[in-house]
Amino acid sequence: MNRPDVIVIGGGVIGSSITYYLSKMGKKVLMIERKDSCSGSAGASDGVVGYHTKKPGLQMDLAIQSIAMFDTLSEELGMDVEYKKDCGGMQPAETKLEWQILSEIVEEQRKSGVDIRMISMKEACEIEPQLNPDLYGALYSPTSGKVNPLRLTFAYVQAAKRLGAVVLYNAKVTDVLVKMNRIMGVETTKGTFYADQVIDAAGSWSAEVAAMAGIDLPLRPRKGQLFITEPLGPFMDVTLQCARYNVIKFKPEAVGDKAALRMGSSLSIEQTHDGGLVIGSTREFAGFDRENTLEAMETTMKRAMRFFPALKDVNIIRAFAGLRPFTPDGIPILGETEQVPGFFVAAGHEGDGIALAPITGKLMAELLVQGKTSYPLDAFSPNRFRKWSEEDADVTL
Amino acid sequence: MENDIIICRCQEVTRQEIIDAVRAGATTVNGVKRRVRAGMGLCQGKTCERLVAKIISQETGIPMDKILPQTKRMPVRPVKIGIIGGEEDE
Repeated sequence: MNRPDVIVIGGGVIGSSITYYLSKMGKKVLMIERKDSCSGSAGASDGVVGYHTKKPGLQMDLAIQSIAMFDTLSEELGMDVEYKKDCGGMQPAETKLEWQILSEIVEEQRKSGVDIRMISMKEACEIEPQLNPDLYGALYSPTSGKVNPLRLTFAYVQAAKRLGAVVLYNAKVTDVLVKMNRIMGVETTKGTFYADQVIDAAGSWSAEVAAMAGIDLPLRPRKGQLFITEPLGPFMDVTLQCARYNVIKFKPEAVGDKAALRMGSSLSIEQTHDGGLVIGSTREFAGFDRENTLEAMETTMKRAMRFFPALKDVNIIRAFAGLRPFTPDGIPILGETEQVPGFFVAAGHEGDGIALAPITGKLMAELLVQGKTSYPLDAFSPNRFRKWSEEDADVTL
Repeated sequence: MENDIIICRCQEVTRQEIIDAVRAGATTVNGVKRRVRAGMGLCQGKTCERLVAKIISQETGIPMDKILPQTKRMPVRPVKIGIIGGEEDE
């Protein structure tokens, strides 16, 4: 490729989506990936495309726009991304306290106009007959869906390539070139490339990339361990999380169990198109470590059996872990850096990268091409952290 | 060589699909797996891993010993959830 208009660093779901939407808007894009698409977090993720797991406010607003885009994605990208619309999302509560906390969060989430409600266990078991009836009640989000994260990512890559994008795998960015406070390009293990605009979409590794441009991003990896079962016949439709999932995500101070809090351990379970169940997960700060632990496996399997007793005779065939890019305020980082004009960041979605990938790609493409976006990104700016004092940025969890 | 023969029996992935995955950019066993599911099934690639590596080698010219094997993860064999989590019901 002659000089590209834009260089996208990172071939995960976010980088691939941005590459596609930029190509669609007529830009010449070079996507540079350290290893391979889906070799990082996009390939080690569940496929929840839900409203009910989103933080009320900004994140919910983004989710609503993003989920609407999934409807036509397979057709648009020319590949089946195995999107199951309206399969539903559910979060059973075990205690009255959990029910109350969930109800408060639901109250806030409903302000965005989405159908999320609290239902009885009788209703919950009618929707999911395998569910343990001996629970307190459940949150139910009937319009939430699920997708295959691998196919979603590769569909974006293939569609972008057809539009002329160039994808460079096995190329690690070794330096971000800045001259007179202006972006120049990137140096990689496969050569140096120049462009007027560079996007850092390296997920959990994006702080390392930003540092090469002299920019400090308070973003760090948070490990989520997942476990896969052998393929089963139709077992469940919804994506299910235990109530603790939202409680840990939005109100960690309300979790009494210290070990659970340290591992950020809650149940998340869904059946894939292939029939296997994806069971997770944890939220651990363990650096870039991607190993599985027996402790997490044991805890997660106990939780799985508590909610679906029939699972005790089902085999686990594989374990893996993904690194979710965590930001201190739980909001993704999307925008241009003021220190280095032309250097953009699109990262920090933590566990919501899959669901938010379409809208992230679309808005970032608008920002780069038109200089403005159809939905304001001010609150997501990478510059918001510059105002923070050292103390505020130090999150203890 | 017949390209419609099945290389990964668990996921029923043909030789042609693996060739397509390599042409789409896969240069490792993991890369093929993520694109077309070869090695993702019940046996976790115990049968097809070397066959997949051989096809990558033929397509790309990368010598066999330079092709990264798939990541090895626990459990080595399928293990029942009840055994891992303890059968509290009984």
